Amino acid sequence: MTASKPAHVGFRAVSKTFPDGTQALKGVSFDVARGAFCVLLGPSGSGKSTLLRCVNGLATPTSGEVFIDGEAVTDKVLPQIRRKVSMIHQQFGLVDRASVAENMMGGALAEIPTWRALLGLYPDHFKTKACELLQSVGLSPEHLQRRAGDLSGGQRQRVGIARALMLDPQIIVADEPVASLDPRISQEIMELLRQAARLRGVTVLCSLHQVALAREHADQIVGLQRGALIFDSPVENLSDDDFSAIYDLEPLA
Amino acid sequence: MNPPRAGLSQETQWAYPKALSLKGIGLFCLIIAILLVTGRNVEMGRMVQLTASAVSVTATGQGESQVAQGLSKIGTSLWPLQISETTEVGRIEGFDRARLPWLAHIETRTKQTQTLNPDTLQMDSVSETAEYLVEPLGYLRHVAVKLVETLEIALWGTVIAILISLPLAFFSASNMAPNRLIYTVARSIVSFLRAIPELVSALFLVLAYGFGPIAGVLALALHAAGFLGKFYAEDIENADTKPQEALTAVGANRIKVLRFAILPQVMPQYIAYTLYVLDRNFRMATVIGLVGAGGIGQELKGRFDMYNYHHVATILVGIFCTVFVIDQLSARLRRRLF
Repeated sequence: MTASKPAHVGFRAVSKTFPDGTQALKGVSFDVARGAFCVLLGPSGSGKSTLLRCVNGLATPTSGEVFIDGEAVTDKVLPQIRRKVSMIHQQFGLVDRASVAENMMGGALAEIPTWRALLGLYPDHFKTKACELLQSVGLSPEHLQRRAGDLSGGQRQRVGIARALMLDPQIIVADEPVASLDPRISQEIMELLRQAARLRGVTVLCSLHQVALAREHADQIVGLQRGALIFDSPVENLSDDDFSAIYDLEPLA
Repeated sequence: MNPPRAGLSQETQWAYPKALSLKGIGLFCLIIAILLVTGRNVEMGRMVQLTASAVSVTATGQGESQVAQGLSKIGTSLWPLQISETTEVGRIEGFDRARLPWLAHIETRTKQTQTLNPDTLQMDSVSETAEYLVEPLGYLRHVAVKLVETLEIALWGTVIAILISLPLAFFSASNMAPNRLIYTVARSIVSFLRAIPELVSALFLVLAYGFGPIAGVLALALHAAGFLGKFYAEDIENADTKPQEALTAVGANRIKVLRFAILPQVMPQYIAYTLYVLDRNFRMATVIGLVGAGGIGQELKGRFDMYNYHHVATILVGIFCTVFVIDQLSARLRRRLF
């Protein structure tokens, strides 16, 4: 289905077994086209997070490989990969006690020399960029000084999205970005993420468990069930039955 | 799915943990036994007996008590506090009669002394007249100066302790140390520093650096570095891992993760520990002064050895007031920071 465009992110028979013997992924293979918004759907424990963490090396597949631009993700190329791939987290991944301004700089750390980072002497172009991005996600100048922990959940995830855009990533990995938000805010955040990605031509891999949000925002939907891929399809080709299938599990023995 | 039913199924056993278990009672008995044995070894029975007799003697005024006698002796010899200071004018170098210190005045005192006359071999009564500089608040000022010196020793002991303990804490936190060997070495240094009491290291440092504040500062710094290193490291280990992972995911190295994800989280705790260490260093600075490492302790020891108990009382009150003020200030500072 992605034959017309070259794959941006590719998974080849990715399997992951944790040291305690849990098999999180069982030979998952699929491709995501450049600029596509790919949603991973599946119940808790279906391996969505683990799959996403394999993209930027937070987890390493036991077997199989992840490719970005045709290049395999290995420990050796991780620094380059991590400059291209940003991440958005379910619990926002912000330092609650630090200001929004400090948290934003966290997103650009790979490009800031260590001594400058330690002294807090950030390059001016990053400061400007942080302000522009915060404006683009709908925050106002007074939020810059506030502690991240004092913001509401929706505002925190806006900071999370803005931070992910600091280094102009080619790929954004979003691990349950709206799981801790209410339905209305979830809708707003998904729209924001979708819009930000489309504007910059960023490929998004986003895990969700709300079918409605996935159908509304995704270009491509990948269904996972207990670590195995059960479908991979453009959103328009999927029927209601396909969606109900992933949550309609037989009880675990 | 079956509708929920009241009552438990017969197949599975539901058993709430009991409040009193055999293991718990055994542990309790063991602790009591340990306390009884150790209590006998450190003469806790005699302590209770002596204290009780002291209380009964004080209350009824009958009988005799070693403890009550000792305490009342201390009380009477300490009171009143020594506030003023009297110095013979002839012993003050470069004394300027026109410019006396604040509130001071000069008194002429005549002293009768008995001396042996070498010619007559009889005791003669000789009256000597000398001028004395009397400063009504002189000794109080002297104690204040010494207290400030002690505070300075405590402050620098704390500053050097922070400088030593920050790198040690980084390497002795298991999630930050580059490898197992460096971790073990750093941990051992921290334990070693903490294991040597200030008083002991001060004894040796006085031999090396001579009497005075340098030995005091270093002795305090080494012990406090062991203390701070342990607590700083444990906070680094216990910090929330989610922000750390988020920064690792965008390619931050360990030092950047420490600065951006861990430091903001642990800062309030670090300030609390450091304030405690400052407070403790002040109290310990008075103790290590006893072995000649400068500050109020050295003055205390000197006065104690000369049986000047009124001076000692002034020093003790001075120390108490300073500790109280530091405590109030640090409590206020912490409230503002959290």
